[in-house]
Amino acid sequence: MSQPSLTNFIVKRPWLKAWMRPLAGWYADLSGYRKLGLRADDLLHEENETVGLALKRLSPKESYDRVFRMRRAFQLSLSHQLLPPHEQTKPSEDIPYLSPIIREIEAEINERENLDSLVIQKK
Amino acid sequence: MIARPSVRTASKALRCLQCGQRRGYAAAASGFNYQTGDSAGIKYASRDVPGQMTTLALVAKAGTRYEFLPGLAEGLEKFAFRNTERRSALRIVRETELLGSEVYATHSRETLSLNAKFLRKDLPYFMELLSEVAGKTQYLPYIFEEEVFGHIKFAQKNFLANPEALALDSAHGVAFHRGLGSSIHPAASGPTSKYLDHATISAYASTAYAKSNIAVVANGADNAEVGKWVGEFFGDYQVSPVQGAPQLSSSQSKYYGGEERIAHAGGNAIVLGFSGSSSATGGFYKPEVAVLAALLGGQSSIKWSSGFSLLSKAGLNYPSASIKTKSHIYSDAGLLTVTITGGAKDVAGVAFDAVKTLNAIAAGEFSNEDFKKAVAYAKFAELEYGESQSAGVQLTGSGLVQGGKPYQIEETSSAIGGVTSEKLKQAAKSILEHKASVSAVGDLHLLPFAEELGLKV
Repeated sequence: MSQPSLTNFIVKRPWLKAWMRPLAGWYADLSGYRKLGLRADDLLHEENETVGLALKRLSPKESYDRVFRMRRAFQLSLSHQLLPPHEQTKPSEDIPYLSPIIREIEAEINERENLDSLVIQKK
Repeated sequence: MIARPSVRTASKALRCLQCGQRRGYAAAASGFNYQTGDSAGIKYASRDVPGQMTTLALVAKAGTRYEFLPGLAEGLEKFAFRNTERRSALRIVRETELLGSEVYATHSRETLSLNAKFLRKDLPYFMELLSEVAGKTQYLPYIFEEEVFGHIKFAQKNFLANPEALALDSAHGVAFHRGLGSSIHPAASGPTSKYLDHATISAYASTAYAKSNIAVVANGADNAEVGKWVGEFFGDYQVSPVQGAPQLSSSQSKYYGGEERIAHAGGNAIVLGFSGSSSATGGFYKPEVAVLAALLGGQSSIKWSSGFSLLSKAGLNYPSASIKTKSHIYSDAGLLTVTITGGAKDVAGVAFDAVKTLNAIAAGEFSNEDFKKAVAYAKFAELEYGESQSAGVQLTGSGLVQGGKPYQIEETSSAIGGVTSEKLKQAAKSILEHKASVSAVGDLHLLPFAEELGLKV
């Protein structure tokens, strides 16, 4: 359940990638979650089995950090404040920690479906 | 009327099918013993039993005896055939299903083995699978949490609910303390998760599956072909030891002896253990112990009769008791056990009789006829056990990784044939002179102490 994206389309075309890169940075910065100390992967919908399982597979440290970021963001949102600039998420910290696991689980599900609908050709 | 010709054609077809297969069986057997070889630095042994089936095993010298933390052998066994670097656990399952085969992992006190049974033509596939499982399994935290740990818990519960297994394990514990005596399953009430996680299992795997520590054994495959495929699929086999992983080693087993009593509500079991014989490839081989085990016996091999063995005759007075005598052989030591299970009173009664019987044998009070029967039965049991595919593969593999010599059943059985009644008497005497390892599990109010039985502990 990673976000739908055009990433693959763009990454395959270097000229397009070079052109989109500053735009993407600008967009991510503007969307505001970094100002609350969140990461992009914190915004994924977690109300489904795939992401639920992925969250269980996080290491204890990552899981703790995720909950911390969310509680902090919730408090900030309640009090209508932003984090001081040095505590905000830097672009270098905004790394996907959850979506690789989600993609792995999706691949597992996909493999299971493929194997279930396997057609055997006898030589 | 309509059915008749079709039945006839069907039976004809069946006959034809059988005759096609019979040709395979009629081919000259290449011998009962295993041929050994070395390919790509991996020891292998094979026995070309004519037939359609092959049993393949990768035996590692990594049973509970060698584990450096409790439960590692069990954990590594449960990690077998899970996700590898090349394919997922699901794919392994589906592929082996499609080929019509069976894969499983087992561990014992001395060895850990990955086994596969399949049709003869699929040998390359399974050779590749075993090399992949041993060398390329991914020991990931989530696989341990989601799949492996649950299975370990189940195995512990299963073990805990079985008084007989519990008694046998505790008898090994008091007999050998550490090494051979370490429990075959991690104790359910012990701190399992303190020692077991993906990292420690991965460290154990890195030394357990090292090239020098494993052997490949095939039953029902051509020796040259096994060598060829071992070379092919184990050519780039490399298991690099994880940093800080201790070398797997175990010092020479020492027999201690003693007594342990465990209260249990689910049944009664007493194990009377005595210092026994090592395997023929080990240095402490005593064929008379196998004959003594057959003479004590306890279970009949024929219907409607108690059989010739002394304990099965004694057991007639105790209808609820079931008696088994087994010589457990290991690479450098052994344990001869009399296992008695059933109602508490009957178990206690048989235990007294068993000690009496053993004393009588030590005094030479057994008929020559019974002795001959015991020798014949011990020989039969040895050959029958060795002939069964999976057991033969296990024995050979463990002989190969431990002593570099496969277990040769014909030699062993001829050694049993050479046992004299005087030797048997001596064996029984020396057994009684040493301490016994007695373990009672169940209703401790009724089960006797070793002292009461007249055994030294």
